[in-house]
Amino acid sequence: MFHRILQLFAFTVPLLAQDGGQLFTLHCSACHALDGKGATGGAFPPLAGSPWVAGDADRAVKIALKGLTGPVEVSGKTYNLEMPPQGAVIPDDQIAAILTFVRSSWGNNASPVTEDFVKTIRASVEDRKTPWTAEEILKLHPLPLERTPLTNLISQVYRGKWDAFPDFSTLKPESAEERHNGIISLADSPIKNEFAMTWKGSFEAPTTGEYTFVLDVDDAAMIRMDGKPFLQIDGSGPMNGSRLKRAKIQLTQGPHPFSVEYLEVGGNQGLAIGWKGPGIKSWKWLTDTPAMGPAIPSNSIPIEPTGGRPAIYRNFIAGTTPRAICFGFPGGLNLAYSADNLAPELIWTGAFMDGGLHWTDRGMGNQVPPAGDDVIRLSKSRALPATARFRGYKLDPEGNPIFSVQIGEQFLLDSWRADSGTLVRKLTVTVAPLEIQIPQAEGITIDGTGGKTTLTLTPGQTITLTYRWN
Amino acid sequence: MRHIIFSLLTAAFASAATQSDYYLREEIPLPPGEVMEIGSIALMPEQKIAVTTRRGDLWICTGAYGDDLSKVTWKKFTQGLHEPFGMFWKADWLYLTQRPEVTRIKDSTGSGFADTFETICSDWGINGDYHEFAFGSEPDKNGDIWVVLCLTGSAAANSDWRGWCVRITSDGKMIPTCSGIRSPGGIGFNAEGDAFYTDNQGLWNGSSSLKWLKPGSFQGNPTGNKFHSLANFPAPPEPADPSRVLAERLKHPEFIPPAVVFPHAIIGQSPTGIACDMSNGKFGPWKNQLYVGEQTHSQIQRVCLEKVNDLYQGAVFHFLEGFEAGLIPVRYDQETGMIFTGGSNRGWASRGSKPFTFERVKWTGRTPFEIETMTANSDGFTLNFTEPVDPASAGDPASYSMAAWTYILQSGYGSPEVDQAAPKITAATVSPDKKSVRLKIDGLVRGHVHHLDSKGVKSASGQALWHADAYYTLNEIPK
Repeated sequence: MFHRILQLFAFTVPLLAQDGGQLFTLHCSACHALDGKGATGGAFPPLAGSPWVAGDADRAVKIALKGLTGPVEVSGKTYNLEMPPQGAVIPDDQIAAILTFVRSSWGNNASPVTEDFVKTIRASVEDRKTPWTAEEILKLHPLPLERTPLTNLISQVYRGKWDAFPDFSTLKPESAEERHNGIISLADSPIKNEFAMTWKGSFEAPTTGEYTFVLDVDDAAMIRMDGKPFLQIDGSGPMNGSRLKRAKIQLTQGPHPFSVEYLEVGGNQGLAIGWKGPGIKSWKWLTDTPAMGPAIPSNSIPIEPTGGRPAIYRNFIAGTTPRAICFGFPGGLNLAYSADNLAPELIWTGAFMDGGLHWTDRGMGNQVPPAGDDVIRLSKSRALPATARFRGYKLDPEGNPIFSVQIGEQFLLDSWRADSGTLVRKLTVTVAPLEIQIPQAEGITIDGTGGKTTLTLTPGQTITLTYRWN
Repeated sequence: MRHIIFSLLTAAFASAATQSDYYLREEIPLPPGEVMEIGSIALMPEQKIAVTTRRGDLWICTGAYGDDLSKVTWKKFTQGLHEPFGMFWKADWLYLTQRPEVTRIKDSTGSGFADTFETICSDWGINGDYHEFAFGSEPDKNGDIWVVLCLTGSAAANSDWRGWCVRITSDGKMIPTCSGIRSPGGIGFNAEGDAFYTDNQGLWNGSSSLKWLKPGSFQGNPTGNKFHSLANFPAPPEPADPSRVLAERLKHPEFIPPAVVFPHAIIGQSPTGIACDMSNGKFGPWKNQLYVGEQTHSQIQRVCLEKVNDLYQGAVFHFLEGFEAGLIPVRYDQETGMIFTGGSNRGWASRGSKPFTFERVKWTGRTPFEIETMTANSDGFTLNFTEPVDPASAGDPASYSMAAWTYILQSGYGSPEVDQAAPKITAATVSPDKKSVRLKIDGLVRGHVHHLDSKGVKSASGQALWHADAYYTLNEIPK
């Protein structure tokens, strides 16, 4: 034992001259690769261009010392590997040399790390026995803000108080500045009360397709894309998710004129603008602060159909009852069936659900809305008799649901599937005629009702209804 | 320096080695990349095991009984369940207690995936509050499932039957059974088939405890009392505030006191799943005793019960520890003598530092020197040991010490230890077979937790007790 420790020292002595690149090759490159892009074609997290090793060095030093476990997102990709702790293996001066190398190689451009700094950090985490999780370490040391897709961004500040958006072209700004990092920040205003601010630039859409933007503000803001207003919150109020708005827009790859107008009416201030595009599942922020509240999980866990079969999610969903059973069909059509009211209550398009708010910490209750768009509320009360009981559901071979309701001796069967952009519902009853309600809703057309909102089901006959978005 | 290191190592090995001398705790590999926050476990035929996760997935594990756990395989059976806390297998169906309902599910076509989800009963209220958990039992002698319904936010009763235990019959009827529940962590039966649940320290609950769900009883927390009128159930008592359990239960005979109090922070902080050992010796000599999971301290405690004057009471002992996360379900396989347990520390921190775990415990065949049972007498307690004692130390009253206390019954959160007493051990008489000791004690206190420390007792072979501390809840002093 003693001999082996001596041998280890003997081996490390020649390296005390601290060549960070050589030490990186020895200790790190097996996983992170010599080019810093992650070994085996990116199966391991990259360090080149990674915000995890940029900014304050605390984060990188702590991870090097104690390791990292569980899922971690680096530049839009999630990895779930174990980074083993190196603190017991590599001394402070060598960790400093390695991180100095990493922070200044492959295009990275962050300050050197000193041996003293590593020593201080090591002492501060001495008691820790387990690797960090990404969540833990980011709470302590958030990532530096990433560049946004906004280019040629210019911010202007106006002194004054407005109830509605003025014509800014007629006003004289107090200041006008370029924002090379593309980040929209109210902190850039020298005035803290009763002011307006505008940003003008280009939104560089990375690909052609459908984009979703989200806006929350204290007090008012308007976003224009390609010269047209498309997302706006008026009046005054807090930025807590209660006034949050979302909108979708079709964009072609490349630059689009983009501008934001902001009004500070009084009290607190805040501005959050996020976006998602094709293939991008979690919100990216154009502002230095993200939006908060149930509509924007801070820890996004998208739930989606897999293997061509619908996803199923039973949980507390805003807009329907606690006994909701949700199906996310392949192709982006979704249903929340209420086992309390024995009827479909919500249908929506796009993303199905986000588990982030239910599956993080103790989990939220019924404040969590559907993750997608065009949410249609079909009904919100019970129309069937009080004796009716929910009896569960069956899945057909494709995984589509057939909900079952018992009313005395007979069963009402209510089946749903997605077909070419519509939801197809088939209703049957087993013993005796039964009247059911088919409420119309704004935003959709229901084919098969003959224009009626009350239909009578008779045994042996199937009624087919098709729900299509207008 | 070298000496210090050496003795440190020895000390570490001595304490770390103790549990593994007797019980082998092993992690069962989980499906890679999945978040397996285990909320319930069902033992199935052919040594398969089903688990549900807090996220609502149901997986079936093959190989969890095997010698080589690296051969374990998993198959996802279904998804989208609502945080089940209770599951068992019966006649080709898996029965689940989900937050909103009792359900049974099966694969009717042999596809390997569940396709039939039958709602058996959903007659209790649920309003979308995150804390409205439901914990369900295995079937009782009649085939009924017992469900304990946590209060809204663990403090209010904002939907029907919150704070109650209900029984669900196989034809889907809901029978309100007990009132007075706060925040359950698990439910199970003893060898006689009586139902018990664990309730967590909080409002109207001075310390966590194991409680007997005697049909018609009140368990101490009046928050959900109002629902009795929904079912022509007699109005449960409204205890005085503040008071003591003993004082209130003497006023209100339907108030059944906790069978065994788990002194807060001493015997865990959040008791959970309950399993009864009816294997007659496959996990050691703990015949018909209960194993009770613990979320915060990542442990399993051992409980021996007896009935005195028609009330259950008994002792809790520290037993197994070092689990990797907070434990929730505990299942004991009576055939093979293995404990299967799992859990999560999401939202409620635990000593085990992993976010979730699935583990098994096997007996090595070596029995630790322990107090096997502790039973009450009119003038003290009888201790039965797992092996013959050394008569000199076990017969010396100075080898033992005792303290007693109780908790305030109050609408506020928890309670300090109060009404401290110091019962005096006046004699310790070793039985002729040297397997038991009768302690004569002055100053037993009815209703109090009695902490017995037996650290002076040695076995005939000179060993100290593995666990010298016992906590006996003396609801009744035998005549």
